[in-house]
Amino acid sequence: MNKKTKGLIPPGLVYVADNITSKQNLLGAPRGIGARWARELNLPQEAETVFFAGCGYQYNTSLQSLMSIIRKLDKSPIGAELPMGLASFQKKLGIDPAQVYRRLAAKDSDAAAQPLRDAVRVLKELGVEFGYLAEDEPCCGGVLHYIGLEKKFAQNAQNLYEKLKARGVKRIIGIVPSCTHTLAELIPKHVPGYDLEVKHFLQVVLEGIKNRDLHFPREAKVVYHDPCQLSRYLGLIEEPRQILKSIEGIELVETDWTHGEWATCCGGGGGFEVVFPELSQILAVNRAKELVETGAHIIVTHCPGCIMQLEEGLKALKVKDVEVLDLAQVVAMAMGV
Amino acid sequence: MSAFGDYKKEIMNAAHNERIRLALSRAIKRYRANVDNALKKFPQTVKLAEEVREIKEKAIGQMDRLAEQACEAIEANHGKAYIAKTADDALNIIGGLVGSGKLVVKAKSMTSEEIGLREHLEEKGNEVYETDLGEFIVQKLGSRPMHILAPAVHVPKEDVARLLSQITGEELPADVEILVATARKLLREKFFEADIGISGSNVVAAETGSLFFIENEGNIRLATSAPPVHIALVGMEKLVPTLNEAWKVAEVTWRYANYTIPQYISVISGPSSTGDIEKVITYGAHGPREFHVIFLDGGRTELARHPGLRQVLYCLRCGGCLYECPVFGVTAGHFGDKYFAGIGAVWAAMISGDKEKAAALAYTCLTCGRCKVRCPMKIDVPEMVVEMRKLLAEGG
Repeated sequence: MNKKTKGLIPPGLVYVADNITSKQNLLGAPRGIGARWARELNLPQEAETVFFAGCGYQYNTSLQSLMSIIRKLDKSPIGAELPMGLASFQKKLGIDPAQVYRRLAAKDSDAAAQPLRDAVRVLKELGVEFGYLAEDEPCCGGVLHYIGLEKKFAQNAQNLYEKLKARGVKRIIGIVPSCTHTLAELIPKHVPGYDLEVKHFLQVVLEGIKNRDLHFPREAKVVYHDPCQLSRYLGLIEEPRQILKSIEGIELVETDWTHGEWATCCGGGGGFEVVFPELSQILAVNRAKELVETGAHIIVTHCPGCIMQLEEGLKALKVKDVEVLDLAQVVAMAMGV
Repeated sequence: MSAFGDYKKEIMNAAHNERIRLALSRAIKRYRANVDNALKKFPQTVKLAEEVREIKEKAIGQMDRLAEQACEAIEANHGKAYIAKTADDALNIIGGLVGSGKLVVKAKSMTSEEIGLREHLEEKGNEVYETDLGEFIVQKLGSRPMHILAPAVHVPKEDVARLLSQITGEELPADVEILVATARKLLREKFFEADIGISGSNVVAAETGSLFFIENEGNIRLATSAPPVHIALVGMEKLVPTLNEAWKVAEVTWRYANYTIPQYISVISGPSSTGDIEKVITYGAHGPREFHVIFLDGGRTELARHPGLRQVLYCLRCGGCLYECPVFGVTAGHFGDKYFAGIGAVWAAMISGDKEKAAALAYTCLTCGRCKVRCPMKIDVPEMVVEMRKLLAEGG
């Protein structure tokens, strides 16, 4: 990146891009922190099929802390210039990301990673054999592509492929919509002979739950929010609905018009929330409102970004009796695992 | 403050403007209901749209040739035709034809917005009236269009009442029917006093040099037939080979612009003429004596050679995508330049050549992809936006 072009990319995104290339995660968190959620699950690190956890869920708590700082800054008088120098503002204000991560690491449980633990329990219950690369899991680099840094993305893609091949990986079960789309559709365009089989968690679950009785612990009216990358990019629109409809106790309702391929984005797409935190929050509120208007008690979705945005939206709307759950959590509850 | 800072401030002001949000939420709801109805009544439109995409794909690859063919046809019809390589060329040609001290009535044209035609003619000492109601409102507000088909989409009726009350000096209620009647009264005599009528065109058939106009208000019919001179400014991407294909393009355009059938479809191929006295063909019977068509390249042929971005030229300007954009839904055309939203970023970079503006717009797109679901041409806006970011970030 030369100086001239660097000026055209909002530096909030330059910061994220540097984190990916240097630390192999969106947030620049030290290696290993992301893998903490899986400590007690005893997943093998060597396996032909691996569960790809992705940055979103693994670093969700860190992301939330960082976003709340970004939002506060954005509303301050210097806010309009914020994206022009996120990293330097952090320094100026004495915010040290490393310290934030150390504090987070000291906590025992990381609630935001619950969907991952639940997804793993569900897959185990369904008899799927798989491993998890833990601190060796590379970043898919999708954000580099969306920022426009295609050369860096291509390099990251090649490194990722070689790393996975060297570990004998043949199949990937993805869960974060964006990572899964990147692994299935974007990376193959840059890696000749790419032969990893990529499936989304939902597809594996839908195949596995046939002939199983699923009961939700309580009667609940549920509305499903389609993440953009899951519905419009990966075309997984009916699958989550089939899963939800097969669970006893759940009544699935839909928003007026804005569902499936017409679903409204939560406002957190491709780094948008870092560049336009306040606008992103307005969009989160708008989407949360559409979902709340259905009268549902639970908003179910399946993307760490959407969860963060919708929770933020509900908070701003002061709605306290609606909760946001990940589909993996709902399935785990319905299976009793 | 940086250009990006200014832009961010502008869209955030818009996002906090309750009037904009009110007007847009009403418009979006009506648009969706109308387009749903139009496609239910004419379900074959979906198939026709696929055919039109193929027509456009072919036509965009041969814009140069089609423009020449159209020019020959228009000249054969006793009109005058020009190819303007750049926006400045187009301004010079039209500026020369209009001169100064004239009264000009204008039909709405995004291409004229693109090159700043109204401002150019006003600077030369002409009096220019926008005659499309929305565009008239925007002109009188001293604002700019905020949607390609509904330029005043961001203005609620209460604000229109206030504006027209100021102009007429009468206290007008926020009653849409009364407001429309007032605008009609204000503009009626201008059509007949005007020296020149200026328009764009929705689609052009090259084989016959025929310009198609889709409208509901009737202002295009008046502006293109009442004054003695008609000048049309048309982007070269509007050209298709045959009349039959042009008709198909037009039908898909109005369906996705949420109409079952527009109130008026006009086709103009030359100046008004008569042969009723001894079969002597004479020009300027009831309609214009002169008919001038300017085909604007303005970066389009270069854009057509870009594999990732050429699809922007398939756009029919139905405006459907804008109603589906979550950011547009709270900011209107402030998320835009001459053209709006994600697709507007590509126009800003390639046509206006403003890299900073293009970058600001490109990074405002959520890449959520709902616009693509709506688009009759299935233009992949997220893919183009990422391609744009790549060009901006990596240079080239």
